[in-house]
Amino acid sequence: MDLSLLSASFLALALNLYVILDGFDLGVGILLLFQPAKASRDHMVDSITPTWDGNETWIVMAGVTLLAAFPIAYSILLPAFYLPAILMLLALGFRGVSFEFRVQTRHRRRWDVAFAVGSVVAAFMQGLIVGGLIQGVTVQNQRFAGSVLNIVRPLPIISGVTLLFGYAVLGAGWLKLKSNPSVQHFASRSLRVAAPVVALLFGIGCIYAFNIQPAIRSQWASHGTALSCLVGLFAVVAGTLTALAEKSRPALPFFLGLCLFVVGISGMALIVFPYIVPFSLSLWDAASSSTSQQFVLIGAAFVTPVVLAYSVFAYWIFRGRTPEKGWGE
Amino acid sequence: MTLDPSILARSQFAFTVSFHIIFPTMSIGLASFLAVIEGLWLKTKDSLYLQIYKFWLSIFAMSFGIGVVTGIVLSFEFGLGFARFATIAGPAIGPMIALEVLTAFFLEAGFLGIMLFGLHRVGPKLHLFATCMVAVGTLISASWILSANSWMQTPAGVAIHDGHLTVLNWRDVIVNPSWPYRLPHMLTAAYLTASFMVAGVGAWYLLRGKHQSFARRTVSLGTAFATVLIAVQVFIGDLVYGTMLKHQPSKMQAAEGFWEKQSQSPATYYWFIIPDQTNQRNRFEVGIPYLGSIWLTHSLDGRVEGLTNTPRDRQPIMGVVFYAFRIMYGLALLMFTMAVVSLWLRFRERLFSARWFLWMLVFMTPSGIIATLAGWYVAETGRQPWVIYGILRTVDAISPVPAQALLSTLIAFVSVYAVFISAFLIFTLRIVRRGPAAAPPHAEASGSLKNAFRPHVLDNPARVVNRRIA
Repeated sequence: MDLSLLSASFLALALNLYVILDGFDLGVGILLLFQPAKASRDHMVDSITPTWDGNETWIVMAGVTLLAAFPIAYSILLPAFYLPAILMLLALGFRGVSFEFRVQTRHRRRWDVAFAVGSVVAAFMQGLIVGGLIQGVTVQNQRFAGSVLNIVRPLPIISGVTLLFGYAVLGAGWLKLKSNPSVQHFASRSLRVAAPVVALLFGIGCIYAFNIQPAIRSQWASHGTALSCLVGLFAVVAGTLTALAEKSRPALPFFLGLCLFVVGISGMALIVFPYIVPFSLSLWDAASSSTSQQFVLIGAAFVTPVVLAYSVFAYWIFRGRTPEKGWGE
Repeated sequence: MTLDPSILARSQFAFTVSFHIIFPTMSIGLASFLAVIEGLWLKTKDSLYLQIYKFWLSIFAMSFGIGVVTGIVLSFEFGLGFARFATIAGPAIGPMIALEVLTAFFLEAGFLGIMLFGLHRVGPKLHLFATCMVAVGTLISASWILSANSWMQTPAGVAIHDGHLTVLNWRDVIVNPSWPYRLPHMLTAAYLTASFMVAGVGAWYLLRGKHQSFARRTVSLGTAFATVLIAVQVFIGDLVYGTMLKHQPSKMQAAEGFWEKQSQSPATYYWFIIPDQTNQRNRFEVGIPYLGSIWLTHSLDGRVEGLTNTPRDRQPIMGVVFYAFRIMYGLALLMFTMAVVSLWLRFRERLFSARWFLWMLVFMTPSGIIATLAGWYVAETGRQPWVIYGILRTVDAISPVPAQALLSTLIAFVSVYAVFISAFLIFTLRIVRRGPAAAPPHAEASGSLKNAFRPHVLDNPARVVNRRIA
């Protein structure tokens, strides 16, 4: 059994769950910036309040899995993305405390701004990191040897904005599913703007990445069919989303948003695999000893199903449309 | 001026981890307190307990929230500031923290929503279960992280070949020599913290003549818990002291303020020193004669080992360790005195009326937090110059990040965390000033587990009450 591949699969699972789950939380936060009505903002935040903490925990899961199973990659990637990582953590901090603080004060608007700006910055920084990974990380002697400012380049910035709009799509989909008619209408309008922008930016990002990174060109040469299928699928899903934003059943946009992310992430995985530090260190070069990987994997095999079960239970307790006065009443 | 990246990286970690530990200390203590209170409510049906629960729940929610977001920072900071540490220690502490996330963080997060917002949707029994799961989650989390930190203090179960660490035996790594003592030490500290917070707020209401029944119940509970806990803590503290003296003698040598290889007999217990690390002596010292021998060697004339037993390049900085230890120990003695006095006042039925004692309780409200922080400073600064004791020096663990980047993020952390703590203090004081809300009439629901699966019934509390009567 290839332990490193298994650990990487678990890492990928955690990252995917994070992007999708906290993705719609962050999306709701981003859309908060464009919602002028206080009652609607309360309603939007209420729709994610009971479950956001569990969603955010997946990023910690991904981070420590990287530390446990691929410590060399962890100690290259974090210094490489030092600035966006710290800005993301601070932004997630603002977003997180705003959940608690906004209900404690009459100046709720201030914390709503903190909430929204925190979500925007966190989303953008995560996109910067994704773009930074795809443009490649400079490594010498298994240490980061580039500049912390390497992320201030076109590809990471395109990727940052793409993810920002991508999360807005997920957030709008979630709101269509969970909120009252007036917020649903707001969500439809947001979808009509965000979905085509995502498709456009994603296309530009792909072409740009293809041009600057030879490793991507060679991946494209070997997985050409699969990659072009994924790009085509991405365009179709984004088009459907835009077209059906208003008319569809409440659950459809959220489902299509998830599809968009699954397709995008699969494409990314196909390009990056088998590197864990693109394009210089493979999974196997960065792996920790087998005893450490075994420990994590055995733990994960037993505990993850339980975690997923009670997470589903928590969602189920708070199922249905968000009550007008929040969940506590 | 040239900036030293290692000083900056260490300052940043010290600041963020010190800030973080304040909040888990509160939430570990409060989570268990809330579980006990809700259990008492269900058992006695006394709605005063529900009032206490709801009041402390809102403060718990804020401290938990800040604990979560400042904790996430730490799980990435091992790599952001200390890449070399992450490479070497990752195979040992990474899996422990991964298991912490799996077994504790998700448990807390999954049931926190139900604990905070679910009472009317799941009914009291399942709600108590959610509270207990959150409390258990905090304990499991503390257990793993203390294991990881204790492994850095007393590493065991690993082998190192040319810079790569391999775990030989997970049991030895997890149950390393200091963990069995340091875990109960930290948990008791968290419980003491919550006890003094609860008693302090109640004492304030008694002094103000407000919310009498709430105040009496919480002062009584808080002082009762504190009395039992401080007795336990003094005992556990002694065990921790013994373990560290055996495994990390330099830490305890620095903590007691002696330099010479053997102190004179009988040894003095120092309360104030001005250490001179360069000349390896104290410039000034004040203490109580004999007490050093009695406390540290449990005899009248025992001698105590000084810091010069440790080679100079392996010594921690005495001043920091000494004063951190004095603050923790001084507060423990004060807590012990308060516990004895509270027993006497309780016996004389003056616990709620002795104003001088109530004032002392008010001043002791943050005592647990300060003592816990001081204790962590003893643990962490006393381990220096090592980050993994005897294996990796802190200066060799730093990331290849330029000093300017480290300095700007340090400033960013200080500014953002200043906003967090100010907001937390303002809102907490406001909640305290507002006082507990009257317990709502539909609070005492049926407690049936069945209602968990039929939230629509619970959306209308009147129907629940009617069903019960029928």
